[in-house]
Amino acid sequence: MEEVAETILDKVAAVIAAVKDAKRADQVVCALHSLAVRLFPLDSHALSGSIDQQYRDQVLSAKVPSEQERTDWWRVFYRGAAFPTLARVLLYDVASNWLACFPFSARKHVYDVFFVNGLMVEVVQTVVPSLQHNGNGSFDGNAVRSNAERVLALCLIENDGVLQLARELGGSCQSEDISTEQLNLTISRVAQLVTSIPDKAQSRTAKSLSSHFFFKKITVQLVAGAEEWDMNLCSKEAVFNKNIVDGTILFVGESFARICRRGSADVLLRQVIPQIIAHVRSVLSSNADVVVTEAFETKAGLWFWFKFMEAIKDPYVVETLSEKLLHQLAAEHVTDLEAYWVLWILFHSIYECQTPFRSMFVEKFLLWKVLPVCCLRWILQFAVFQFPPDAPSLPTKGLNSRCLLDTAQHLAVVWAKKEFVQSAPVEQQIYVTAALGLSLEKMSKEDLDSTKDVMRSILEGVSCRLESPAHLVRRMASSIALVFSKIINPENPLYLDDSCCGETIDWEFGLATSEKGMLTTSECSDKDINEVKTSTTSLPEKEINNMADNGVGNNDKTRKKTLSEFNLVDPDEIIDPATLNNELVSGEEEDDDDASENSETSSDSSLQPYDLSDDDTDLKRKFSQLVDVVGALRKSDDADGVERALDVAEKLVRASPDELRYVTGDLVRTLVQVRCSDSTIEGEEESAEEKRQKALVALIVTSPFESLDTLNKLLYSPNLDVSQRIMILDIMTDAAQELADSKIMKPKHQPRNLISTVSETQPWFMPSSIGPSGAGPWKEILATETPLNWSYSYERELPPRSSQIQRGKTRRWSSRSANIQGHQVEWSQNKFPQYAAAFMLPSMQGFDKKRQGVDLLGRDFIVLGKLIHMLGVCMKCAAMHPEASALALPLMDMLSSREICHHAEAFVRKSVLFAASCILVALHPSYVASSLIEGSPDISKGLEWVRTWALHVAESDKDRECYTTGSCLRFHVNWGKQ
Amino acid sequence: MSKRPPPDPVAVLRGHRASVTDVCFHPSKDILFTGAADGELRIWDTLQLRTTSSSWVHSAAHGIICVATSPVIGRNKVISQGRDGTVKYWDIADGGLSRIPSLTIQTNSYHFCKLSIAKKPFACVRQGEEPHYHDLGVEETSDAETLDHNGRMAQGNLTESSSTLEDDVHVEGPKYVAIAGERPSEVEIWDLSTAEKVVRLPQNGSSSSLNQSTKAHGMCMAVQAFLPSESQGFLNVLAGYEDGTMIWWDLRNPKVPVTSVKFHSEPVLSLCVDGSCSGGISGAADEKIVMFSLVHSMGSCVVKKEISLERPGIAGASIRPDGKIAATAGWDHRVRIYNYRKGNALAILKYHRAMCNTVSFSNDGKLMASSSEDTTVALWELYPPRSIT
Repeated sequence: MEEVAETILDKVAAVIAAVKDAKRADQVVCALHSLAVRLFPLDSHALSGSIDQQYRDQVLSAKVPSEQERTDWWRVFYRGAAFPTLARVLLYDVASNWLACFPFSARKHVYDVFFVNGLMVEVVQTVVPSLQHNGNGSFDGNAVRSNAERVLALCLIENDGVLQLARELGGSCQSEDISTEQLNLTISRVAQLVTSIPDKAQSRTAKSLSSHFFFKKITVQLVAGAEEWDMNLCSKEAVFNKNIVDGTILFVGESFARICRRGSADVLLRQVIPQIIAHVRSVLSSNADVVVTEAFETKAGLWFWFKFMEAIKDPYVVETLSEKLLHQLAAEHVTDLEAYWVLWILFHSIYECQTPFRSMFVEKFLLWKVLPVCCLRWILQFAVFQFPPDAPSLPTKGLNSRCLLDTAQHLAVVWAKKEFVQSAPVEQQIYVTAALGLSLEKMSKEDLDSTKDVMRSILEGVSCRLESPAHLVRRMASSIALVFSKIINPENPLYLDDSCCGETIDWEFGLATSEKGMLTTSECSDKDINEVKTSTTSLPEKEINNMADNGVGNNDKTRKKTLSEFNLVDPDEIIDPATLNNELVSGEEEDDDDASENSETSSDSSLQPYDLSDDDTDLKRKFSQLVDVVGALRKSDDADGVERALDVAEKLVRASPDELRYVTGDLVRTLVQVRCSDSTIEGEEESAEEKRQKALVALIVTSPFESLDTLNKLLYSPNLDVSQRIMILDIMTDAAQELADSKIMKPKHQPRNLISTVSETQPWFMPSSIGPSGAGPWKEILATETPLNWSYSYERELPPRSSQIQRGKTRRWSSRSANIQGHQVEWSQNKFPQYAAAFMLPSMQGFDKKRQGVDLLGRDFIVLGKLIHMLGVCMKCAAMHPEASALALPLMDMLSSREICHHAEAFVRKSVLFAASCILVALHPSYVASSLIEGSPDISKGLEWVRTWALHVAESDKDRECYTTGSCLRFHVNWGKQ
Repeated sequence: MSKRPPPDPVAVLRGHRASVTDVCFHPSKDILFTGAADGELRIWDTLQLRTTSSSWVHSAAHGIICVATSPVIGRNKVISQGRDGTVKYWDIADGGLSRIPSLTIQTNSYHFCKLSIAKKPFACVRQGEEPHYHDLGVEETSDAETLDHNGRMAQGNLTESSSTLEDDVHVEGPKYVAIAGERPSEVEIWDLSTAEKVVRLPQNGSSSSLNQSTKAHGMCMAVQAFLPSESQGFLNVLAGYEDGTMIWWDLRNPKVPVTSVKFHSEPVLSLCVDGSCSGGISGAADEKIVMFSLVHSMGSCVVKKEISLERPGIAGASIRPDGKIAATAGWDHRVRIYNYRKGNALAILKYHRAMCNTVSFSNDGKLMASSSEDTTVALWELYPPRSIT
């Protein structure tokens, strides 16, 4: 062997010297050929055609060694120092100086052959570094790099080099000539080099080395290598023997890990998942009666997959890979069963023995990440319940149920935290709620009793969610409460909310996909800010019914079935025997009547009854006086009267009778305090609640000062509850908007003599075309008096006025004549600004006082949010009026107080953002400009505060909407300041 | 057959300034008396449809509860009852009332119960008047053949005794009026000619337990006095009480009521006995109207027909003298017409815009007047009696 090595080294040195001295490309080809022919089974004739005669002979006359000799040479060449030395020459000297002149066949047979047919481990280690060569010294950098790329693409992609790598590395560990550490080192280096190729390759090169394509290709090869390894595996024991480290597996795992690290986990998974799913499907379909676990364990071709995750040493990669895997499984709509087995195949061996992985599933995937709800179901199934979804029930009480209880407890504790409700993003809240709900569904009453905190945490969580302004959050609470109540007493489920009346709960809360989900949640909360009508909002949640049909699992379906059967036969149905009797009795009576009618003489035939139909429309007492309305509203025991009073209240108020201002206070108070049902009677367009609010809005609009006086007193009065306060703020908001849009008819003066508008279609000097309908077009009167005529005269035909008798007289209008027919009107007049102070100032005064029943900064934060929102709307309504500038300062003062702008509840912060943006809209630019120039400290300080605060929110707020709005606001401020 | 829409009133008499509490036709002339809650009594000409006279007969603060006329008390007399505790007895002179009442009775009763002049079987009352009334009466008896046995008996007796009773009518005999008394649970009978209280029901000093029990019935809300032929000229009184019971007294034995029945669950507000005194109709504050028959021989009162209503409250009930139809005045602004024989509904008259207080038929049966809180009186022509030839 020693002499072979020396010979090879000599030969290589000779070849290198020949290449260095070569004057022509053919000489280089010849030199390389002389070496190549000793290493590889070359067909010399293939390249002979492309070189000159004299070299051709040399090439053809080269001595071809025997097979045995060639193999020896090959091994020594690649294992020793010969290949790296030659490769350097090939990659740098030849590539930059000669390769361009090589004929194609020569390049293939005497150049590429050294790499393609070489020992891949060495080839990769040699070639990849040359990718980063940056053209120093005598070589052409571009040529070197592009050649290296070409060689790599050729080796690794076209000739399945990676597969070969896997084979080589697997083989080398069996040959036992190198230590394990060394092997590990080599493996990780090779894997690192291979996966770094796309990054090192230049972007402009062929797409074969672009990361997506490249990783896809090598993944295919790696998987093929792994399966090959799997096929060759002789004994099952070897798989589960932890001590045997296999090179192939290590290499594949290492490569996968690095691919993931480089951000191509999805490319990887796209190749891997179909393979696993195919395995799963084949097992599931083939043997239905065998125990499935065993079927999986005995099936060939799966052993690699059992080891797969273990082979990936990097915990971060495992996590990303698992997450991506779940996402992709969800995207492919695999069934619950398939997903379970996919997870089982990949993770069961490491899940059982390695705690970090277990905590990855139980902690990270349940509490920190947000995955689609179906993934959540799989995770719970695999990691917590630990039995396939088609199993009839929990197979063993014990370890598994212990795990379930621990998880449920953990989830419940997190779920119940007030901070979680306040600051976690909506998606995550939904996710954790769903996780908790799904685990609760699997629990029994005994389980619940055996855990200490679950019940308490759930009750806490439900109660603190029910107070939330967001409908979605309330629905989470009611869903959990429903599940919980089903555990406690399955016969008597607790429905806190009308919307979840179905048997199955939609744990996605109407959010089908995560993208759509974000959209809807933001819409929801927008609605909350803008349109929440007291606490009785019910968003149109029709989707719940649709979503419920999507089916959650077999268990749910069966449960549904049993429930519906239960409904069909209702043992509690009461059949009143009295009704039956009544029917009988009345029937008899009718018979009697008929009989008597028959016996009656004809004398009564004159008594034909009239139409006996009767309706009670006329009976409803119509209120025509506001005083009556007030009286009726005070009689709370007469629900009917209250309702009728509400019916007419708005109309009466709108009519604005003289006595209105005297009864306004009373009326406002009674309207706010009256209790009316929110239920809409069928066929009626609006509920009593809406009528009440409309009446109040009308009151504010028709007599603002009096009603606002009362309302502001009521707002902070201890006798009201939160819903009434919210209603007050709602109606004030509505009224402000209505006042701002109010339309006033006003005679319009036309400044036509002074200003001509460009938008007129006719020339400015023509008289305006307005006038009575039917007027003819203007015609110029030709003035013949003087040639220098400074003014134009026009005439047109006018239709006779209705009262006018035609006397054959033409009326002539000069261009100067004022338009006396003042029937043009001007619309739109903002009436709000004059009342703005009355709206805003009193309500801003008491927000931070804590009194009996009033605690805006703490418990009643919803009221605070609505208040700020109302103030924002007021600002907007007064926009561009001087009042806005005057009121902006106190409002900004209020907003910038710490307890408001850093309020714990996102709802309040959202309102503050809204109000701040309203201020920006409302301030007249000239006012801002002048105050900035004059250095008016207040306004510029306020604006600066808005800017910094918006910046702060955009950077650090936890609520998604807050920070998006915040960034918008910041943009606006900057823009406004400019 | 397509149903006819219910008829509209033939005339509406406007002029009162307060709720019209009672209406009453003159027994023979085309005159209508109306009393209002502000104490005004108006006399209307039902042909010309205008007021012929208006006078304030009771104080405005108390108002009139009841106006009543009857051939029993005389042709040109009218009685008004006020809430001021007086009953006034007026002469009608040249189209108007006399300046001062011919008689004023201080009953000292302050309640809502309308007084009742004793009702005699009308066939005999009308004897000697315009002949067609008599004819009507005869025909009525023939109609009555189809009634139940008791009714026929009553009619039979009636015709026999009519000649004797006739004298009572025209001769200034005792003119009895039944009024809920000073103690509201009692019914008092006053003689109009002497202005004396004749008797109190239940009678004082009678068995205290009975007294107790009558008190337990609450106030007397409606009375109807009648002179059935069976009672040999002794007055019978039917009184409705607050708790819904009705008690039938016969003055031959004023200590013990003939019978006591409870058809209603709420105060009985109106009672009317038919012309033959063999039955009647009652309305109450509850949701039903009861038609009952009075069985004189057995002294019992039995339900003939119970009509349930959609809306509660019947303030007034009246039966046409020919006994064919009955009308009720409802709190629900409606006047309802029933076939009195069969008890089936005939019409629901919607005109009034407020509670109806009374309905009253003219003696010839052609006209019906309804009065209401909306200060109007409506005149109706319904199912005209065919008898007039």
